[in-house]
Amino acid sequence: HPWETVTTAAMQKYPNPMNPSVVGVDVLDRHVDRSGKLHSHRLLSTEWGIPSIVKSLIGTCRTNTYIQEHSVVDPVEKTMELKSSNISFTNLVSVDERLVYKPHPHEPDKTILTQEAIITVKGVSLSSYLEGLMANTISSNANKGREALEWVINRLNAEIEEFTASARGTMRNSMAAAAFVEK
Amino acid sequence: MNSVGEACTELKREYDQCFNRWFAEKFLKGESAGDPCGQLFKRYQLCVQKAIKEKDIPIEGLEFMGPSKGKSENSS
Repeated sequence: HPWETVTTAAMQKYPNPMNPSVVGVDVLDRHVDRSGKLHSHRLLSTEWGIPSIVKSLIGTCRTNTYIQEHSVVDPVEKTMELKSSNISFTNLVSVDERLVYKPHPHEPDKTILTQEAIITVKGVSLSSYLEGLMANTISSNANKGREALEWVINRLNAEIEEFTASARGTMRNSMAAAAFVEK
Repeated sequence: MNSVGEACTELKREYDQCFNRWFAEKFLKGESAGDPCGQLFKRYQLCVQKAIKEKDIPIEGLEFMGPSKGKSENSS
């Protein structure tokens, strides 16, 4: 999908069925800087399906994990960069993620996503098995992220189709067949 | 999508609608001058800041977030 489509979808990524644990999204700050780039600081609240009896004992705040996300959209250079890190009350494990969306250099109807995750564990040395497990989870989450954006793009397109169909009779929007390419 | 503060969800929805429209129709097309959502954002923000304090969510001060995250994009 073209970069503009992907970027618009990324700003409206939640809710989507691939990320059911995200229960809240808030914008903490947003501004356009001097060079015309849009900065957004967002707070994502996630909940991991803890049994309600546990929640009532320890309170909902402790069952939520919060993620802080900083995104920068440059409409001239056509890049969108997302950096997120989790805020957790235990502070033992933190995951920092960095995603960059750019137009495909040779195919203008496609977008390239580069994604990296840095896992930091304080004090405890993870066995290589655990490290492998986390790396697998993060890479399958990367696929999930692409599926999630695909879902949002389809939803936005369906809304546009409904609107134009009712406004003008019959009109078909078709998106160029495209796939995300991961570097 | 809900807000972290239940009372803020409606304000958030109004702001989101305004922002999403502006983002796709103006900002991405290079017309970033003039933000029609300023008032909505202020109201929504006040509510969110209060909710965050009440829930004791440990957010690093925003002043730290910006520069320390080391944005590496090149300006043209």
